[in-house]
Amino acid sequence: MVLVVDTTTKHIGKVIAEELFRSGGNRVGFELIDTTGMHISHCVGCNYCWLKTPGVCAIQDDYEPILRKMNGADQVWLVSDTRFGFVSWQTKNIVDRIMPLVTMYLKFKDGQMRHVMRYDHQPDIGIIYTGDGDQAYLERWCQRTALNIGSRSLGVFSENRGKEAVSCML
Amino acid sequence: MHVVIINGSPRVQKYSNTEKIIAAFAKGLSEKGSTFEAYAISNRKTWDMIRDAYLKNDEILIALPLYVECVPGLLLEFLETLPQKDKHTRLSFLLQSGFSEGCQLRCGEAFLEKLPGYLGVRYGGCLVKGDNFAIRFLDEEKQTQITKPYQTMGELFAEGEGFFREEAKKFTGPEYFSLPMRLMIGLIHKTIAKKMLQKVAASLGCSGPLDEKVWETGRIGGK
Repeated sequence: MVLVVDTTTKHIGKVIAEELFRSGGNRVGFELIDTTGMHISHCVGCNYCWLKTPGVCAIQDDYEPILRKMNGADQVWLVSDTRFGFVSWQTKNIVDRIMPLVTMYLKFKDGQMRHVMRYDHQPDIGIIYTGDGDQAYLERWCQRTALNIGSRSLGVFSENRGKEAVSCML
Repeated sequence: MHVVIINGSPRVQKYSNTEKIIAAFAKGLSEKGSTFEAYAISNRKTWDMIRDAYLKNDEILIALPLYVECVPGLLLEFLETLPQKDKHTRLSFLLQSGFSEGCQLRCGEAFLEKLPGYLGVRYGGCLVKGDNFAIRFLDEEKQTQITKPYQTMGELFAEGEGFFREEAKKFTGPEYFSLPMRLMIGLIHKTIAKKMLQKVAASLGCSGPLDEKVWETGRIGGK
């Protein structure tokens, strides 16, 4: 299943979805979440999802249904505006709050310490961005983020390369 | 030198590891005759005041925890509200994390290196240090003890060269652990560390396993 989480002010996710269906994407499971109007807090770093209520975020807002879908997806595409060459704070909040998928236990993997994941299946992660993103940095960050959850990066695409991103979804 | 220190952690100050690190660092500044004023972004109500201090001063230090390979979302949101300044202002960073190895913080550091350019100000370097997860769970005496090395870094910073000196670079510690160290630490994490974490969890009211697949079992906190 391909999940697109769109936080952009221009609702680029809709354009991506249209492109996917034009490209025969009705063969793949697909869902678009546009976060406009949703209440999604930032992570407050309370560590409850690791130590008090393992796997459950203490903040009760519109985020948990998104996280459940992210956990079940094969691909998660973050569609984001950019600031300082990086993803927007709205997208970073969505990523910061994936911690319930991660346990407090640690292990070494490929020479670096990693958290032990809570569930067996991990989604790959890709980025589609608007504006003046720092392509090289976004690629590095996406790879490192995927590494943290034991998956891989699907790549980073500016909105005008949306077709290329869509070809990775098929 | 007068330094504006901004705690960029979203966690409430009382439990903030970054806050404890700042306290030690600021002590070092004072020891060398520097002064400081400290703020924390975790309370949004103080954002206007922090922005005002950022505008009126030219020596700014943001101390922050690493959140998923970069700066926390809340800090990104705050940064967006900062007006452009010029090169008379120097912006330095203290980046800390739970993971121990230096390699874990480099992606975050790379963002911070470029950030001052976006804000129009000068980069003063980034002090990088991991292994800080447990600070909040220690008693006050142990907290003081464990954060003491940051005092030395405060003293160094007061000498005016930001974090570009060799001592600041060395402060990070090993970039990667050697294989024997990895084997040893790995073993600790499979045994003693697991028990200790379970104990901390129990003190917070958790009775279940920390790796419970809650969406499959439906139990929360072991209940």
